[in-house]
Amino acid sequence: MTYIEKPPVPNVVKYDEPMATKRNKLEVMLNTGSDIYQGACKKRGSTLKDEYRHASGTAYMDPRDMARLGVKNWDTALVKTDWGEVVVFTAHSRDAPHEGQIFICKGPWANVIVSPETYCCCDPTYKGVEATIEKTDKEPLLMADLMAEVYMKYDKDAEKSTNRLTEKKINVGITKPEE
Amino acid sequence: MAYEEPITDYDEIVENCTCAFCGCNCDDLTYLIKDGHVVGVRHACRLGASKVMEDMDQRLLVPMIRNEEGDLVETDWDTALDKAAELIAGSVRPVFYGWSETSVETMKHGIRLGELVGAVLDNQATICHGPSLQAVQNAGYPVNTLGEVKNRADMIVYSGNNAMNSHPRHLGRYSAFPRGYFRKRGRFDKTIVTMDPRYTDTAKMSDIWVGFEQNGDYEFYNAMRAVLRGKKLKKDVISGIPKEDIEDLVEAMKTTQYGSLFFGLGLTHTLSKQRNIDIAINLIQDLNKFTKWNLVPMRGHFNVNGFNIFMAFEMGFPYGVDFSRGYPRYMNGETNTIDLLTREEPDVFMVIAADPGAHFPGGANRHLANIPVIQIDIHWGPSTEIADIVLPGSFIGVEAAGTSYRMDGVPIYMKKAIDKPETCRDDEWIVRELHERVQKIKGSQIASK
Repeated sequence: MTYIEKPPVPNVVKYDEPMATKRNKLEVMLNTGSDIYQGACKKRGSTLKDEYRHASGTAYMDPRDMARLGVKNWDTALVKTDWGEVVVFTAHSRDAPHEGQIFICKGPWANVIVSPETYCCCDPTYKGVEATIEKTDKEPLLMADLMAEVYMKYDKDAEKSTNRLTEKKINVGITKPEE
Repeated sequence: MAYEEPITDYDEIVENCTCAFCGCNCDDLTYLIKDGHVVGVRHACRLGASKVMEDMDQRLLVPMIRNEEGDLVETDWDTALDKAAELIAGSVRPVFYGWSETSVETMKHGIRLGELVGAVLDNQATICHGPSLQAVQNAGYPVNTLGEVKNRADMIVYSGNNAMNSHPRHLGRYSAFPRGYFRKRGRFDKTIVTMDPRYTDTAKMSDIWVGFEQNGDYEFYNAMRAVLRGKKLKKDVISGIPKEDIEDLVEAMKTTQYGSLFFGLGLTHTLSKQRNIDIAINLIQDLNKFTKWNLVPMRGHFNVNGFNIFMAFEMGFPYGVDFSRGYPRYMNGETNTIDLLTREEPDVFMVIAADPGAHFPGGANRHLANIPVIQIDIHWGPSTEIADIVLPGSFIGVEAAGTSYRMDGVPIYMKKAIDKPETCRDDEWIVRELHERVQKIKGSQIASK
């Protein structure tokens, strides 16, 4: 189906001595938003399928950041914020360069890690969230598995600790609650 | 993309249909119909076509209720509606969220139901253009229609918005490319400016890209206003933009004949939220001292504006209207879905034509796991995974007719092209039926007292 077929992402550019600045973990700024592939997949109603996981559960990164982290296209990475953590794919951003920023399309994967703080203005903070990204071996979950694991609505026996959302209480009006 | 053979195998053509995807509401679509299904769409963008030619694998066809084991099982309409009505009638703080992908006619019944049970009625604006609506209340609304943009505008600014990805036909049908009455040469007569931290697809095709830094929008707009009022900028670089560039940009905006600014979620979701839009509206008002400028928010769903206009007309408030005291009440940060959910207040949540599973932050969704969720939708999506009662609706603009409002506030009647699946019902019918059943339960409660 051509409506959700993605153009091939360009391969990661090798920079001079990428190992010189290799890191295990990068501190980045997380942005979310819509993207035409994610939109087409979502609106078509193909959310249970693998194509939605690739369209929406992907962190688009700057190639330099990818070289530093040592990840290639469609490798997996763990993104953590104050509000939770999620495993996503990594891919070369078509909007690069934007070092220090990652872009995850809106969807269940991004939702686990964005900030629900509205600052009394009804709108959660979906953009400009501080995050860390590190390489991992785990696979991103499909939509149904992700919803089941994160929210555990019908999983009465599951241990609370498997919940990927952190237990952080939201303090309306306070950006960083006291440690 | 590979070349695709044109579709020749169809029974019927339905012309002048309205697209039910984004706020552009393109009303020139042609559906190719075979055996009661849309097999092809002409003139639609990638997103509109993908929505109209839907994935029938995931279509919700029968009402479902969760059983004890936590699986959704099929049931009949009466049982599902009775169960939903029982939950709504017995709730203390119900929230009815959604409404943006359904018709104004459905909302009419929604308001009656909301008033009856004292619910909070909210729509997707609460997580997208809510700050814009607040800013409109603060600073005014210098709006124009998309037809004016097409015919008159010679400078078009996209701010915090990637129209090429989210409203793909906006540039082709309304802003950059069409030949207008006063802009005979189309794209050659228009200057496109994109203001966005990301070098998006829209930025790539525009004449000027202003890549201010993340969360720097408020400072950037203020700098533009200062220049516009004849002040000298004291800093050399403001929000990552050299001051000479800001001066040049303001000069260009001042000397244009008719300008139009389109802003999107890039402005509403960053830290200054509604203050970003306040300042953008003030910038437009300042520019109007020199030449003609207007602005339009880039609304996402095809009828998200419809709910705001309808609610403001009926109840005086655009969204997040709370009926719990018997009269409509609206308080930002208090009666909005996200705030209610993070404070864990609602005890019944009804989702109609929306997808909180895919759009709400996890911290807000977590409360949905603790309370009953009723879903009225056409597809099995992330919300169905956390729903307890699923009522399959119909697809407005394809399977059902209805009125919707375009992003600039122009109402458009969307016609029906094909029949809905036999086991589905119209959204309007479902909400009306829920209202009648809730009324019956409420009536018997009063009688027994």
